[in-house]
This record gives sequence, C-alpha cells and structure tokens, in this order.
Amino acid sequence: MAPPDHRRPYKRPAISDQQRRRELSLLRQAQSRLDAQHRARCLASSVLSLENPEPDSVPELELESKPGE
Amino acid sequence: VAGIELPQKQWPELIGTLLSNIHQLPPHTKQATLETLGYICEEVSPDAVEQDHVNKILTAVVQGMNSSEANNDVRLAATRALYNALGFAQANFSNDMERDYIMRVVCEATLSPEVKIRQAAFECLVAISSTYYEKLAPYIHDIFNITAKAVKEDEEPVALQAIEFWSSICDEEIDILDEYGGDFSADSDIPCFYFIKQALPVLVPMLLETLLKQEEDQDQDEGAWNIAMAGGTCLGLVARTVGDDIVPLVMPFIEGNITKPDWRQREAATYAFGSILEGPSPEKLVPIVNVALNFMLSALMKDPSNHVKDTTAWTLGRMFEFLHGSTLDTPIITPANCQEIITVLLQSMKDVPNVAEKACGALYFLAQGYEDMGPSVSPLTPYFQDILQALYGVTRREDAGESRLRTAAYETLNEVVRCSTDETAPMVMQLVPLIMMELHQTLETQKLTADEREKQNELQGLLCGCLQVIIQKLGSSEATKYVFLQCADQMMGLFLRVFSSKSATAHEEAMLAIGALAYAAGSNFEKYMSEFYRYLEMGLQNFEDYQVCAITVGVVGDLCRALEDKISPYCDGIMTQLLKDLSSNQLHRSVKPPIFSCFGDIALAIGENFEKYLIYAMPMLQSAAELSAHTSGADDDMTEYTNSLRNGILEAYSGIFQGFKGSPKTQLLMPYAPHILQFLDSLYMEKDMDDVVMKTAIGVLGDLADTLGNSAAPLIQNSVSSKDFLNECLSSDDSMIKESAEWAKMAISRAISF
Repeated sequence: MAPPDHRRPYKRPAISDQQRRRELSLLRQAQSRLDAQHRARCLASSVLSLENPEPDSVPELELESKPGE
Repeated sequence: VAGIELPQKQWPELIGTLLSNIHQLPPHTKQATLETLGYICEEVSPDAVEQDHVNKILTAVVQGMNSSEANNDVRLAATRALYNALGFAQANFSNDMERDYIMRVVCEATLSPEVKIRQAAFECLVAISSTYYEKLAPYIHDIFNITAKAVKEDEEPVALQAIEFWSSICDEEIDILDEYGGDFSADSDIPCFYFIKQALPVLVPMLLETLLKQEEDQDQDEGAWNIAMAGGTCLGLVARTVGDDIVPLVMPFIEGNITKPDWRQREAATYAFGSILEGPSPEKLVPIVNVALNFMLSALMKDPSNHVKDTTAWTLGRMFEFLHGSTLDTPIITPANCQEIITVLLQSMKDVPNVAEKACGALYFLAQGYEDMGPSVSPLTPYFQDILQALYGVTRREDAGESRLRTAAYETLNEVVRCSTDETAPMVMQLVPLIMMELHQTLETQKLTADEREKQNELQGLLCGCLQVIIQKLGSSEATKYVFLQCADQMMGLFLRVFSSKSATAHEEAMLAIGALAYAAGSNFEKYMSEFYRYLEMGLQNFEDYQVCAITVGVVGDLCRALEDKISPYCDGIMTQLLKDLSSNQLHRSVKPPIFSCFGDIALAIGENFEKYLIYAMPMLQSAAELSAHTSGADDDMTEYTNSLRNGILEAYSGIFQGFKGSPKTQLLMPYAPHILQFLDSLYMEKDMDDVVMKTAIGVLGDLADTLGNSAAPLIQNSVSSKDFLNECLSSDDSMIKESAEWAKMAISRAISF
C-alpha cells in the first residue's frame, strides 16, 4: 500500500538535494542581482557626490597632507 | 459535463433531477446516483452549488450512509460521496444539530461489518479533521476510542486511516502553533484545542504498539507503507506537536526493547527514538543522545539484523539533522567522538544497499552541521579525502541502483563539497575529472532499452548536479576559480551533449550547471553562446516542464550579468520567447514573476539598447502591475504569489531605469513614469506588501528619480510615495529597506534641486 502523498517519505529526508540545488541557485541569482543593482546605484551615488562636493572636504584633504609636506 | 456547466449556471435542474426520486430507485440506480453526486462534488467548486442543493445532496448522502440502509454497495457509494461533499458542508457543519447528525452517521459507518465502508468512513473522518478541526471538540473522545479500536484490531487499510486521522490532527495543530509563533497573544484564525496534548497518555502507547508490527523486508520495497511506518510517522508528528512532553512517554519503551533478542523489538525501539528527535528541545534531547550515540554506533556495526541497522543509521542521521550544527550550544559531535562516527559511517557504506543509503544520509547531515562554521578549520578536514573516496566508491558499486543508493551517495558528495574549505579545495578539484569522465561515459553508451535509458538520464542528472555544486563552490573563490576554469571547455561540451537526451531532469540539471559556469566564467562565457543559444531557447519554450523553463529564465539572468552588453545579439530571440511565455496561459504561474525580474536583468545588461523592447515590455508590466496592486480577499497563497509578482515587476522597472541611466534616451521612459508612480502609491495604500516588495518599491522610486531627474520632479513631488511611503521606509527597522530609502531620498532631492 502506498503512503499518502503529502507525508514525508518513509525514512527519507524532507527536502531532496535536487530541491536544495534549485534553491541555492535561486539564492545565488538573487544575490547577484542585488549586487548588480547595488553597483549601479553606488556608481550613481559617487557621481552625485563628485558633482556636489562637500564644501569642507577640500580643506580637510589639505590638512591631512600637511604632515607629509 | 457538470464540471463545465454548473459553474456557468447552465444546468440548474441537474441536482434536482438526480435527487427527485432517489428513495424509489432500485439499489443499483441509487448507487449510481450517489456515485454521480460524489463525482460532481469532487469536480465542482462549492460556490457553484446553491446551499439549497447542498442541503439536498447531504441529506441524500447521509441517508444512504445510515445503518438502516440494507444495501452495502449503496452505503459504500454514499460514504465515498460524503468524502467528496465535505467541502460543500461549511454551513451544515456550523449548525450543531446537522453536524451532530453527520458525525453520528460517519462514526456508525466506521463500525460497519463491511471493510470498505469502514475504510471510507475513516477517510471521511480524516477529511473532517483537516476541514473542520475547530468543530471536533465534542466528538474527539469518541473518535479516539473508535480509532484506537481500529488501530488495534482492524484490517490494515482501515487501521492506516485511523492512524492518519491523528497525523492529520497533528498537521493542523502544528500549523496553528506555528502561526502563534511562540507568542500566545498572537492571533490565529483557528484556536488550538490541544487535542494531541490531551490525548498524549493514551495516544503514544497506541502508536508505540504499532511500531512492533513491521513487515519482513519492508526496507527493500520502495513504495511500502504499513501500520508500523504510519505509526512511526504519526509519532514523529506528535513529537513536533507537543515537544518535550513526549520524551518521558517514549523513553521506557525504548529502554525496554532496545536490547531484546527479537529484531522487531530492537528496531521498534530505535525507530521510536529516531521519530521523536524533531520537536523536543535540545536541552531535553542532548543528554539522552549523548548516551545513545555510542550504543547506536555499535549497533550499526554489530547488529545482526539489516532492518535494525537501517533504522539505526537513519536515527543517527536524524540526530545530526536536528541536534548538530553551529546554532546549538552543546555539541553532540566532539573531537573525542568525531573520528569514530566517521569511521563507522564509512564502514557502513559498504553494507547492504539500504543500510549504506542511510549511512550516506547520516553523513549528509553530519557535513551540513559544519556548513556555517565560517572560515575556521573544519573538523572534517582530516577525514576529507577518505570521505570523498568512500562516497565515490559507493557511486560505483554494482548494486548502487538499489535502494536509491547511488542518488544518496551523490547527494552526500554534494553536501560534503558545499561545506568544504579552502584547505580541502584541491581534493574537490581532483573530483572534477572523475565526474566528467563518468558523464562522458553515460553519453557514449548506445543502444539502450527504455529502462536503461531512464536510468542513464537519471545518472546524467546526478552528475550534472554534482558538477554544478563543484562549480559553485570552486567558482566562489578567486584562488580556486582559475584552476577549474581550465576544464570549462570540456565541461561545457559535455553539458551541451546532455541536451540531446529527452529527460527534463537531466536538462534542468545541465541548465543549472551552465548557469553556475556562466557566473564563474564571466565575460569569457561568450565563446559558448553561439552553440548554447538554441538550448537556451528550447528551455524557455518548455511550458510542459515548467521547472526547466523557470531555471532557464534564471540562467538568462546569469548570462546577462556575466556577458553584459555582449548578450545583445541574443536578446531579440530571448525577449520574443519571454514575452510569449508571459502571454501563455499554459505556463505555470510561478514562472511569471522571475520573467519580469529577467527583463530587469536584460535591461541592466544592454542599457539603452533595451529601447526596442519597451513597447512590448512596458504594457505587459503595466497590466501585471494593475492586476497585482490589489489583493483584497485573497488567501495566504495568493497574497504570497501577488507579492512575488509585484517584486518581479519592480525589479524589471529598476533594471530598466538603471540601464537607461546617463543615456540620451532617458526621456523615452518619461511616458511610463506616471503609471509607475501610481503603482508605487497604490502598493503603499494597500498596506499588504511584504518587506521585500517594500524594499524593491522604494528603490524603484530612487531609480526613477535618478534616471529621469528634473523632468520627473513635479510628478514625484505629487506622489504619496515620495512623502509618506518614503518616510515610513526611512524609519524602518529593516536595514535593507532603510538603505533603499536613503538611496531614494538622495536621488529625489537631487532630481528636485536641479
């Protein structure tokens, strides 16, 4: 007699490794998509901050370069 | 026919005609009428039948089930019809008198002299337990007595249903307690009546008795299901339902039987122990497991019964699955016992196939427990070479086709690879030519029978799966990536040959492996594209095996990120196919959200060259967005699906905006902006998006502002999203939502200020 379909198969793991491989691939893809998106936004943000330099960032650089002079 | 016509209200007289003179009918016509009613209930949705007709159906069915019905065939047909009609009986189960009557008739039918009627009646009880759990309290005591008698004395098909009743009650209570989430003030639609907790002192002994009723050689029979198996499964569910409370009730049974001369007693004791390892707290179980572990290792080596060894290895696997891992305070595997455990498991892999399969399973969970240990030295490192050798050896056993042994060995090999560290990477690398050789051999063999071909395809799937795991592992670190990429040409050649088979599983595995390879190879993957493209298109066209289609869509994303604008020559074909997929009502709905995300991947990769697809993609996105904006009245599954659809749509918008960023063609997107902002506003108003959607949605607002800049400023300023929604996200506890919101805030302030 066959077990009911929804029961975990007798003495077998609940999730097959095949299912795990699928899930891990999806995770990797989702992470890569996030990274790509993040890179695009970081690029945009760095362009933004270059276009809008903080008024006091230049003097700070000068201060830092003083000891080496 | 009724299944088509009733929902359209095109056959209103059907039920009336069927029931009009049921009492005057000869028995065989009555039986046929009841069977027809059962089929109609099975086929038609409850809301397609008026309550008046439901009442009449139930009356006829319950009368047919009654003990006063002399004809057993009629009574059986009626009992089976009730099983199908239960979903229609919501209103009747809410009425105390009607429910009492139905329950009385069902319980009486469980005592019928006819075995098939008893079995069908218990099937009704199982269905009632899941559909009307909250109405069961007045009857649960009587049902316990009825089921206990059936489990003890009745024939197996009846006893199995009686056990299934309690398993089903466990399922309900596990779900309800899950929804409580440990917070007892939280709301659940249905309260927990703690039937299992109350029945525990009588239920557990009843189940333990069943464990002693094993069949000889049941472990050799793949599809076997008997009272001992059902009893152990139910005991496992009871442990998950009540947790610690089960332990003192089962321990005396284990202690009293585990050393008995009769294998049935030793096996039953071991199976009982293995069954209760999920549910109770580690605090309760670890001290017992620490004592039991040595005993189990010794039994696995020395017990004369294969059946006992099989269950022992499975129990060790359950110990490692639930009580071993980085999240647990007290380790059950220590430097003192690690070597012995591994020696015993590797030795056991040489045992008969069913025992070796369970030993592989135990090693799988042992490795898994070390997976999240971080960069520290893995305790498995000293045994790594031996483990790989032993597992590879198992895959090559002549009898590895039995008991799913070869599959278990490859799966364990995969898990061991996943948890390997930089130190053991060279040993993983040594596996690559071996696995490639195996795959090559499967592709060379010809003139196979259908059965042999099926086995061959299965093996190809396993080998591609194993290579995928290795690629993913070695590809994740720069140090190891370049070494294995030297085999990439050969590997890709083998994967492409796998597509000449007709097996969906082999295709899926080869596709996953290719995705991993593209991710690792980056732009170097371009050289394979001309040859690979036709298989990619084939995958995207595979509506029937929708998993293959879904995986191929994911691989398109991998290719976009790997090749960037070098994917352009293939985009016409890919986009055509993706748009076809979206318009198809044949394709499984779960593939549609990833297709939208894939639009985003393509747009991000090819930038303004996405222009020619805008007129096709944007209307699709817009109509899907309108559909997904409102979920009112949807059930949990539908809400979850809607949120995944919203996320896909939003990822598409994000990718498209970011792809066009900085191009002279950004203004092509302007006509779509009002609708997109409206979509964001409606998501905010609807208040039912999950955190992922919230994060993606507020990110889209930033991408829109960033790409369209000043020309979209008035639109943005008029949207609710740029005020209330943005503020809510800025003060979110979720760091991802907050980060996206910071991005949106910055992009908006820039768009407005220019």
